[in-house]
Parts: sequence; structure tokens; C-alpha cells
Amino acid sequence: MSLLDKFIGAKQLKSGLENAGKDPTNVVFDSINSATEGVVDGRVTILAGTNNYLGLTFNPDCVAAGVSALKSDGTGTTGSRMANGSYATHGALEAELADFFQCDQAMVFSTGYAANLGVLSALLGKGDAVLLDSDAHASLYDGCRMSEADVFRFKHNDMQSLEKRLTRLGDRASRCLIVIEGMYSVLGDCAPLAEVVALKERFGAHLLVDEAHSLGVFGPRGCGVAEEQGVLDKVDFIVGTFSKSLGAMGGFCASQHDVLGLFRYVSRPFMFTASPSPSVIATTREALRQLRTRPELKETLWSNARQLYTGLQDLGFELGPQLSPVIAVRCQDRESALFNWNQLLQAGVYVNMMLPPATPGGACFLRCSIGAAHTAEQISTIIEKFAEL
Amino acid sequence: MNNSTDVVSEKLAEILTEYLKTNWANSPSSNRTVTATTNMVTELQLDSFQVMEFMLEVEDHYDVAIDLDSLSNIQSITDLAGVVITAHQD
Repeated sequence: MSLLDKFIGAKQLKSGLENAGKDPTNVVFDSINSATEGVVDGRVTILAGTNNYLGLTFNPDCVAAGVSALKSDGTGTTGSRMANGSYATHGALEAELADFFQCDQAMVFSTGYAANLGVLSALLGKGDAVLLDSDAHASLYDGCRMSEADVFRFKHNDMQSLEKRLTRLGDRASRCLIVIEGMYSVLGDCAPLAEVVALKERFGAHLLVDEAHSLGVFGPRGCGVAEEQGVLDKVDFIVGTFSKSLGAMGGFCASQHDVLGLFRYVSRPFMFTASPSPSVIATTREALRQLRTRPELKETLWSNARQLYTGLQDLGFELGPQLSPVIAVRCQDRESALFNWNQLLQAGVYVNMMLPPATPGGACFLRCSIGAAHTAEQISTIIEKFAEL
Repeated sequence: MNNSTDVVSEKLAEILTEYLKTNWANSPSSNRTVTATTNMVTELQLDSFQVMEFMLEVEDHYDVAIDLDSLSNIQSITDLAGVVITAHQD
């Protein structure tokens, strides 16, 4: 077997996807017209799979903030903060995030993926243990595996399964980090965070919650599921991304623990990556300001989510377990999922194709994500196109 | 727990046979008879996710903790039995 033979499987996967129609992993938008509309193969297409929860990507104030930063601070930082120094706006965003989450400190990373790698690889070491929800995002798996800690999985959102594993750890429970998401990205279901917090306190463990998909979506102030369930101050480390509700790119960690400030000296994904460009920081700050000052965005988001969820439910589709802006439609098998995904795209609706092994229970889903910027008419069109499948 | 590799392998084969029928009914391997020498990857064509999911059942059955790194070299039921026995001794 040669070095390159390992790609035979990937080649077969690519061929299989292309034979079914368009490759769902490689859709090209000719142009993007707005937060909810693009053009694919010359066809105007509703964007119902871009995680643009608050619909801020074309917000005039966010765009103006980015343009202004481009003019004043240039196009990029050309290196890491360790080597090239920080811009004042990096620190300003970190202070604003700390204030938002009511934490002592926050730290900005170049992507959400880098945030999870950076935090987990810095926090965990040899002899430590991780209890990871089985449906956790790949970046959380990768971050855990980048550390030298022992990684154990527990059944998704199953508190008995978590409790059993904490019990098995014995004295090591105090060196254990429980790693979960607020809202899970494939099915849009939420963690029972209050119960997780009760277990982590009982066993003396620590807790990291990834609020990537729940920032701006849950909680009275939009902090996420931990705030929604009244346990924000009990979470040791909150991580998340700027690439969804905030319509930009980057990641963060917020914490009450002083050690977060020391991650700058030990976290390789932070130390050896170029820092976020000034325009990205500027649009993120403006989007965070809007998230904090415009509660109507969240209200519209939920109203839109309800319209799509009930519309698809009324059509008889099997959906995820709870109403949320992530609405996953279960498909019978891989072939029907690929066929229906292509049908929707040709009908002018872009959703996500979710295939195993990156899916709960090895099932196939057409995953929709709805946003505050979708119109009622667009959502009706999405429902109509599903009805035609 | 009887720590003989044969005994543990036989029990694991039994658990996996039932698990395939219950949880992976649409899988081509759902009705396969599993034995101690069955290769989970090449014969049953289980992917990494399926092996990890099955491991959750094994952990609970034997009340042991098996970390993800231990799974990287598991191919056969006998390999898995070795990991379970080691975890039980730890």
C-alpha cells in the first residue's frame, strides 16, 4: 500500500456524491444577494442551511464597521498575537465578551475550531480525564485528542450514562472535564445543562460548554443554553464562534477561572495562528452590540423557526426532538437523502446534507437552519418545496 | 467477571449480535452472526462511529472505562476482549 492509497475511500465517496447529482460538500454560490438568498447555477436560491441565525451578514452597520476597520487598520495582522502583537480591538472584543458573559476573562481565537483545539489542548494534560457527549462536534473530539488526557464518551444527553462514568473515575473525577454543547448542531436539541451542572458539582468535576449554535439563540440576553437554564455562572469554560449568530469568523472562550489568561502562553492553536483581521473583529463587535441591544432579532428568529418546524411537522416529516432554529428532517436512507437534497437545490432551496458517520445514530438528515432575516414568504416556499419531495 | 479471553470474547460476540439487530437494522451487517474471531472493520464493515457507539454498551455491561485511544487498534472481537480485560484490571 502506497502513501496515497489511503485516499481511495475519499475518491469513492466523492464519486458517489457526484453520481447522485451535485456534490453537497462542494456547492458554489455564483453570488450572495442577502443573508437569506444566493445564486447557484444561475438560479436564485433561498439559503436555509447557513447558520445565519440573527441574519446579520449584510447588516449595514456591521458592513460599515468592517469597511471602516479595513481603511483604518488594514487588511490583516500578518501573524500571531504572540509574534506580531495584538491590536487594541482584539482586547476590546475580549473585554466586551467577558462583560457579556459576566466572566472575569475572555479570549479570542481565529476560528471556532481553533478555539476548541486551543482551549482543550491547553486545559487538559496527561492523567486528566474527559467525559465527552457522544454527539459532540468534531472540533471537540479533535481538541480532546490533541491533549494527552484519557477521553471517554457518554451517551448523548443521557445523565445516567454520565453519572456512571463519573462514578467509574473515582478520585480522578476531580481531574475530569465534562465537555458538551449547548444546542447540538445536527438535530438542534439542547443539553440538560442544569442536570449536568448538578452532577459536575457532586463529583467535583469541571464543565466546558460549546455554545457555538446557541449564542444569540437562547437565554434572556442571548448568552446561550446555560443562561436559558439559569446556570451560566456554574459553567467553568464557555466556548463559541463568531461565524454563526455574529455573521463573521473566529472563536472565543470565556471563563471565571484566572488560568484562561495563561492559555496565551501554552495554547498552541492560539500561539501559532495568525490573529483575526481587524475587519472581522470590527464586524463581530458590531454584531455583538446588536445581539445585546436588539432582542427583537431573537424573537423573529424563534417565530420563523416555529413557522418552519410546524410546517414540516404538518407535512408528516420526522424532525429533531425539539423546536429550535436547527430543523433536521430525517430521511429513510442515504439514496433518498441525496435525491431529495438535489431536488430541493434544483427547486431553489439550499439546505445541508448530513450523512453518517457525522450524524447521530448513523441516520441521514436534510438539515435546515433558519434565521431572523428569513421572510414568512421564504419559509412558506421552503415548506412548499419540501411538500413536493 | 471471568477474565478468560475466550469467555469475554464469546459474551462480546453475543452482545454485538444483539446490538446490530437492535441499533443498526438498516446496516448490511445487521443479521450477521458474530463470533470471537469476527473482524468488526473488514467483515462487519463497521465505521469508527459505530465501533464507538457499541463501546458505550460494552462499558456499561462490564462496568469499565475504555478510553478512545484504546479503540484505535481494535479489529476483532478478541482484540476488544483484551481491552475489556485490561480495563477491568485497572
